[in-house]
Amino acid sequence: MLTDISPQWIASSVVALLVLPVMLLTVAYLILLERKIASWTQDRIGPNRVGFSFGILPLNFHFWGLGQPLADGLKFLMKEDYTPTGTDRMLFILAPALAAIPAVIGWAVMPWGGYLRWGEDMVQVAALPINIGVIYVLAIGSLAVYGVVLGGFASNNKYSFLGGLRATAQMVSYEIPLGLSVLIVLLMTGQTDAQVIVVGQANAVWNIVYMPLLAVIFFTCSLAECNRAPFDLAEAEQELVGGYHTEYSSMKFALFFLSEYLHMITACAFFTLLFLGGWDLPLVHEPAVGGLGWVVWKCLAYGAKVLVLLALMMMIRWTLPRLRFDQLMRLAWRSLIPVTLAMLLMTGLVVAMNWPKWALLAGNVAIFAALLVIGPMIPQGSVENRRVGLAGSRFSPQ
Amino acid sequence: MPTLAQTEFSHFGPLVLLLVLALGFAFGNLILTHVLGPHRQGKIKGMTYESGMNPIGTARRRFNVRFYIVAMTFLLFDVEIVFLYPWAVVFPSLAEQSALRPLFLARVLFFLLTSVIAFLYAWRKGVFRYD
Repeated sequence: MLTDISPQWIASSVVALLVLPVMLLTVAYLILLERKIASWTQDRIGPNRVGFSFGILPLNFHFWGLGQPLADGLKFLMKEDYTPTGTDRMLFILAPALAAIPAVIGWAVMPWGGYLRWGEDMVQVAALPINIGVIYVLAIGSLAVYGVVLGGFASNNKYSFLGGLRATAQMVSYEIPLGLSVLIVLLMTGQTDAQVIVVGQANAVWNIVYMPLLAVIFFTCSLAECNRAPFDLAEAEQELVGGYHTEYSSMKFALFFLSEYLHMITACAFFTLLFLGGWDLPLVHEPAVGGLGWVVWKCLAYGAKVLVLLALMMMIRWTLPRLRFDQLMRLAWRSLIPVTLAMLLMTGLVVAMNWPKWALLAGNVAIFAALLVIGPMIPQGSVENRRVGLAGSRFSPQ
Repeated sequence: MPTLAQTEFSHFGPLVLLLVLALGFAFGNLILTHVLGPHRQGKIKGMTYESGMNPIGTARRRFNVRFYIVAMTFLLFDVEIVFLYPWAVVFPSLAEQSALRPLFLARVLFFLLTSVIAFLYAWRKGVFRYD
């Protein structure tokens, strides 16, 4: 029986068992990092008090606030799990689980460490080494909308309902440019296997150099898909109290919260895979198939790239103001979709003509230049939120 | 470059493991918090939070038709993109006869054109205007 189990099975199971706890722990500390980045942005100190004593152990040192995530988790567990009247009980319980499960399994195809030499064979260091990996990520990512929508619908709260509606419209709208930009990368590489896309970029030029504009579009769309600021209209605190999770408490709320961060990790890993060369170490010539040492280095390189992108997402959250709903929809439908369609056309032409890859960079630059010229020429329609001139105003003087 | 291992059905095995872990994580946490937390009911406490106002009626009422139209337009594009994925994978590895490639590109562009016309129609109709 044991001989039937292939090395790939063992490797995949080990990766699945190892990466999941690592990711959950990372999420816990990402929340701390987010609070720290927020406080540094706003010239505060941030959480620095909670250590590992939890009021029980005789520790006088506070470990720079590193105990905060554990304390938060414990507190979430001990709080009352309350279900208000009028809720759809079944969906109310199901929604946080439906938000968390796609977030937990979405990263499965990420090729964290390339190939590992295993005796005669070689195995992929990924939990799910399939040749439709990119499609898998998109498919699981689309499931994420259910948690938000059902959470908003089940709560029987007008704020939650509006938050759920907004989230649906937003995630559905940004999925189109996201899918189109992934399609363009596939057209460029001719592969849907995550590992092969990375191998194509390893020890070579990363895709972001060929496709800078596309990378920016993809990053914007993944921010919107994660419900991250400046696209966090689904839970806009100033307008909708808490949006779709207004009525949620204790661990149910925590599951929504964790799934947001897990989605961020998956989105950043996806970006790294498509544009930043995945496990490719810059300036080092590494073999695609390596021993355990190479795998560790590649995992570290992958993790470092993902961490940099996560920090970028957090800094964006604390720097940019939230978009209005009409601006959000306009950005998706009237800007990103036409631009990605134009880029699809350009990429198709380059591939059809067998031009070198650097033509893609020229195409990107040309499209960006064209946007700068055409953009102001498009009629704006009626502007209802016109600036009113104010005496002594810096931005709209009379 | 390493040779590609063909994806077999057995490669999906570890996904089952991961799915079990995900289910265990989600529902385990829900059950744990239900067991550990206090339980106190109350009439006022059971009201949904609407900034202190007593909630009037149910929240599940009619909503703006724009959301519906956006969903319809999304379906149009999403199905189109699904059809384009196989093309995108096959197209670069098409035989190197450059004479045929523009033809295949033109065919797909015609397919794309049908949706672009629908997109432009929706644009003219003001589907994407929220002001």
